[in-house]
Amino acid sequence: MAIINQATKELQVKIVYYGPAKSGKTTNLEQVHANVQVPEATAKGKMTSLATSSDRTLFFDFFPLEAVAIKGFKTKFALFTVPGQVIYNATRQIVLRGVDGIVFVADSQYDKMEENVETFKHLEENLKTLNLNLEDIPYVMQYNKRDLADVAPIEYMDFVLNNREVQVPSFEASASNCDGVFETLNMITRMLLHKFLNDGARK
Amino acid sequence: MGQFPQLIQEDLDLLNVVMGELLTKSEAHVALLVEKAGYLIHQCGNPASIDTTTFATLGSNAYNAVQFMAQLVNESKFTSMYQQGENFSTLMVNVDDNSLLVVVFPTHLTVGSMKYYATPAAQAIAQRIVVASERAPGKGLDLSDLNPTDVQALFKKQ
Repeated sequence: MAIINQATKELQVKIVYYGPAKSGKTTNLEQVHANVQVPEATAKGKMTSLATSSDRTLFFDFFPLEAVAIKGFKTKFALFTVPGQVIYNATRQIVLRGVDGIVFVADSQYDKMEENVETFKHLEENLKTLNLNLEDIPYVMQYNKRDLADVAPIEYMDFVLNNREVQVPSFEASASNCDGVFETLNMITRMLLHKFLNDGARK
Repeated sequence: MGQFPQLIQEDLDLLNVVMGELLTKSEAHVALLVEKAGYLIHQCGNPASIDTTTFATLGSNAYNAVQFMAQLVNESKFTSMYQQGENFSTLMVNVDDNSLLVVVFPTHLTVGSMKYYATPAAQAIAQRIVVASERAPGKGLDLSDLNPTDVQALFKKQ
């Protein structure tokens, strides 16, 4: 959960990119890291990747990004990815600890649809082990790899992955070309800040 | 697993005293208070050469991973973790359910002496966190100045 430090006027929030193996979670972070406009160099931290020798995420990728989203408060966004491979499910749970917002990165190719669904189920299960409920956490869907052949139509992706009482925002993306990457990030940050706004109003 | 409380200046002053004393007595270089989700809450000492944000994130996740591992062999009591280096070593001591005290120290100092000083420091920090939690457990952030349209595109592409 977000950390509010009234003394230093800082808000820290954690956003996790979750999805099946090779769906483009790390690429999303790399593109944000490489292309984001920052007012000063210190606003963007170093990207850390704990990967295998074959460049597959072993534990997580991480980088911190600062912005002044709220007047008078420095907001620090900690962006994480989880490993996509099922064998690393335990580490996914660890990375999800204290999550504030989630980007589910789905692979749009037809033959990846079963893996997308399976991974989404794992996400819900992993959150439950942490006593969290997906319905309480802002999340968005990103349908990645739209530049490839044999991709499913958006309506189909929505039907398969986003077919709930309340549909969450979804974005088409081609993360390797940086298409849809910033739109996705901006939506999840906006949803997070709205949640803080609403939660604050209730108290 | 509750939420880490909001801290006010009074809390930070106490953290400075406790963590400062720890560094003076133990001769360690850096002490970090880290929330287990990966957030750096407070730091003391001389972290000039360390990216403390990344250090905090890696430390907390490493600690969580080893705790998870310990649970798999039914080991529920897991209170500290030690990384031995050639020049600097790191000791991570559990503070409470949500936070850790991370101490970086030169290798000529022993981990035993570090634990000796870090354990009471962690207890003092834990007590302060209880005080902070009781002060305003449900207090949210005042976002009355926030205009939601301002955050349509918080991050822009170069």
